[in-house]
Amino acid sequence: MGNLIDLRRSLSREGALICFNGSFSHSIIEELGKAVKHYLESQDLQKGATMDVFSVYIEATQNVRNYSTRADLAACGRSEAAEGIIVIGREGERHVVSSGNYVLSSDGPALAERLNRLQGLDKAGLKALYKEQMRRELPPGSQGAGLGLIDMARKASEPLEFSLTPDGVGLLFFSLRVVI
Amino acid sequence: MENLVIDGSTSSPRVDFDAARGHLLLSGESYPENSFEFYKPLLNWIRSFLEQSPQEVTLELRLAYLNTSSIKALMDLLDDLEEAHRAGRQVSVNWYYDEENDRALDLAEEFREDLTLPFFIIPTRIGV
Repeated sequence: MGNLIDLRRSLSREGALICFNGSFSHSIIEELGKAVKHYLESQDLQKGATMDVFSVYIEATQNVRNYSTRADLAACGRSEAAEGIIVIGREGERHVVSSGNYVLSSDGPALAERLNRLQGLDKAGLKALYKEQMRRELPPGSQGAGLGLIDMARKASEPLEFSLTPDGVGLLFFSLRVVI
Repeated sequence: MENLVIDGSTSSPRVDFDAARGHLLLSGESYPENSFEFYKPLLNWIRSFLEQSPQEVTLELRLAYLNTSSIKALMDLLDDLEEAHRAGRQVSVNWYYDEENDRALDLAEEFREDLTLPFFIIPTRIGV
């Protein structure tokens, strides 16, 4: 890539403030998180609003990281499957956290069903589902509590938007957009 | 019983569990790489403590942010204290939060909703 102007223009057009594309390690999540927090603090946002954006950023990136390190995904033999992208942007007064990563085609339907269900719930319904999931026994070896998507939906000011795009060679690209 | 002390980091809280005083402190932010692995020794310590000592327990929380898997792990820890409380032990939770951070207050209130043990939510002026 000799000239980054087109990439830069398209990021600016989308209101991107901070973005990362590649393989997520825990230390990258931490470092980028510091940058996100410093940026938000410099914007004179209410502390609560800063925490909402930061927490959606953490849940989104940790979801990408947890999924990308799964053994069944590694078994597909595609190096880009371990990579992801995160974009934190601004649209007027609102912040948008978008994330993308590859998922196995076989996981697509269940993921879409979970998200469709979340889209249909109001704040009270999301809270009830969150509490129900909190009390659920987790399968051994779980990396997460299964609460990340519900938590993002609770912090969002609009229903979560997502897409699952077949990449033509057996994986789906999962794109999630959270408006806070 | 030995105390459990773990230094804090950017993404994991400082842990200071003092067996002699029955005082357990968690302070900082909590979004470690693997929350369940991080909290497992804490849960084990508390379970042994509750078995070995009849002492009063105070849990002091000064957590500015927890990710969802840390919230789940902390709920498990609070469930153990709740059980001890129901069995007649003196247990209390003091949750300190930065008064400008209303999300930390919401979070504390959601934990408290599920518990009957004495749970105090205390605003502080300086960042927790």
